[in-house]
Amino acid sequence: MTVMIGRRRSTAAALATIGAFALLVGACGKAEETGGTGTDNAAAAQQTASAGPGGGTCTLQQYGGQKIDLKTAKVGFSQSEKEANPFRTAETKSIQDEAAKLGITNLTVTNADSKFNKQIADVEQMIDQGVQLLVVAPLNSDGWDPVFKKAAAKKIPIITIDRKINAKHCTDFLTFIGSDFYEQGKRAARSMAKALDNKGTVAILLGAPGNNVTTQRTAGFKDEIAKIAPNIKIDFEQTGNFSREEGQKVAEQLLQSKPGISGVYAENDEMALGAVTALKGAGRKAGDVKIVSIDGTRGAVQGIVDGWIYGVVESNPRFGPLAFQTATKFFAGETVNENIIISDREYDQATAKDGLAVAY
Amino acid sequence: MKLSVEGVQKHGALAVLALVTLVGLLAFPGFRTVDNAGTLLVNAAPLGLIALGMTFVILTGGIDLSVGSVFVLGGVVAAWASQYGFVAALVVPLLVGAAVGLVNGVLVARTNMAPFIVTLATLLGARGLMRAVSTEGSTTYLVESQPFKTLGNGDLLGVKWPVWIAAVLFVAGSVVLNRTGFGQAVYAVGGNTDAARLMGVPVAATQIRVYALSGLLAGFAGALNAARLGSGVTVLGIGTELDAIAAVVIGGTLLTGGAGALSGTIAGVLLLGVIQNLINQVGDVPTAYQQVVSGAFLAVVVVAQTSLTRLRSVAPV
Repeated sequence: MTVMIGRRRSTAAALATIGAFALLVGACGKAEETGGTGTDNAAAAQQTASAGPGGGTCTLQQYGGQKIDLKTAKVGFSQSEKEANPFRTAETKSIQDEAAKLGITNLTVTNADSKFNKQIADVEQMIDQGVQLLVVAPLNSDGWDPVFKKAAAKKIPIITIDRKINAKHCTDFLTFIGSDFYEQGKRAARSMAKALDNKGTVAILLGAPGNNVTTQRTAGFKDEIAKIAPNIKIDFEQTGNFSREEGQKVAEQLLQSKPGISGVYAENDEMALGAVTALKGAGRKAGDVKIVSIDGTRGAVQGIVDGWIYGVVESNPRFGPLAFQTATKFFAGETVNENIIISDREYDQATAKDGLAVAY
Repeated sequence: MKLSVEGVQKHGALAVLALVTLVGLLAFPGFRTVDNAGTLLVNAAPLGLIALGMTFVILTGGIDLSVGSVFVLGGVVAAWASQYGFVAALVVPLLVGAAVGLVNGVLVARTNMAPFIVTLATLLGARGLMRAVSTEGSTTYLVESQPFKTLGNGDLLGVKWPVWIAAVLFVAGSVVLNRTGFGQAVYAVGGNTDAARLMGVPVAATQIRVYALSGLLAGFAGALNAARLGSGVTVLGIGTELDAIAAVVIGGTLLTGGAGALSGTIAGVLLLGVIQNLINQVGDVPTAYQQVVSGAFLAVVVVAQTSLTRLRSVAPV
């Protein structure tokens, strides 16, 4: 009898310890140089490619908002994931730097730490605090009803960056600024086709589910492979949730179950770097399995230089300048497009070394 | 004696909540607005419902790790079922949640396996189910029923429905815990399982019921959340079980079971919400430090409570 009670108590103690750990463990960062986020570097800045096909336009009058001066305005930025991966680090820094440059002193930044409910609460709270412009990097494309309801009542323009929100343009949100993810997928497919000489088997490390980035990077890649390299077979698809650890785990399983795989398409650099670690762990040589990924982080571009990664399609996270330019135009009464699509670079063996200067 | 220990713990959590809230009110103009209070409450409601069920489970000396997965699963099936109307959107997630809870309860009560392991298995299982019905999480069902959306987003006297619902259920939960035979059985099982059994308390039935209740409430929390968001978001609920456990423990309920109260759990849930809200009020705190701050804060609260309890238990009553 006493044994039973004792066991229960020690379980409870263990639980308490685990709980305490879980609360703190997330705080650990990675010691990796992410290098110059280069917002002062003109070459690294985002360039607009097009107004995005099929989108409408919006003006201050249509939106029904009020003319404000950005400098004295309250601006809110909601980041979706913690700044543990270079894309998020560079993105947040770009918003902060540009705000500082423009003399915007009243910028609130929140971070949802990959918890969707927290992001909704964060944004709602910023609206309560009276922000007049919202820049949101959404974690998920759906589920924004409570935010729209609140923002619409106060006519607060919302600019979404890097991921889209599924909603009514010019009613629920002002504009989306981001890459053409479908095109990124296609470019990655072309790079893969070149790497494999149009034959072999390829695995896809999918991004996190539930957002347009993953869907379109997958569709673009598959469509282009089917079109230009029908002899390449996509043999394996599993999500690595855009994280290095999970990418590594999935790649390890992949190397166990399909040791003959010839290429890996990682939907972001973090997962690609995870796959590199898995390959090293399995005793494989650089270039043995061709890896193509998307983002253009310093680590991945260095991976090309070192021979572990074949090619990287960039997804430029420096949204600050373009986001505030767009807001300035909007408040000045000019027309703003529904989709503002940026142009992305590409790194391969020939360009990687020089590319390190603009990689983030 | 026992009652006084409980009293200290209960009031400990409330006292800390009052103190933190007071500091917030004084320091941040953005904190002391009606809108902000509304945001805080409506966002705390789902966690409140989950922590309500968790309190029952922990009072019996158990633990339920599956609630985060049941929460997200409940939301997804609610959004899916909303195409068949309001009733379906509400009933389906309740059934699914209760079913998972029932599996937990039966396994814990009948096989003598550790609740930690049983509910870890259902944590994985329920998340797997969620991914199965949402094509690996990539299909997001939109809520089709307008009345169901209103349940999540509408308000009565300026207070959102989820807040009313959580408040009513907490009152009901307190009545059940303090005034019914089931409530007494919950405390008895957690206090000393073998003694409870010898006294003729239906131990197995009580365990099955608390886990079923916990699953039911987690499913319901998911449904309300989906109603509010307008869709069955699939990227939710990771780590929610730890938030719920933290809220219950901060509220003064002993992890070993047998002692605790729902009023403490409310204080715990609100405390987590207020801390988060205040961190946002400060603005521009890097995520890493945000987590350090919340972690450190929770540690301090729990340590303070433990010492308070010890102080009281050595003092003559």
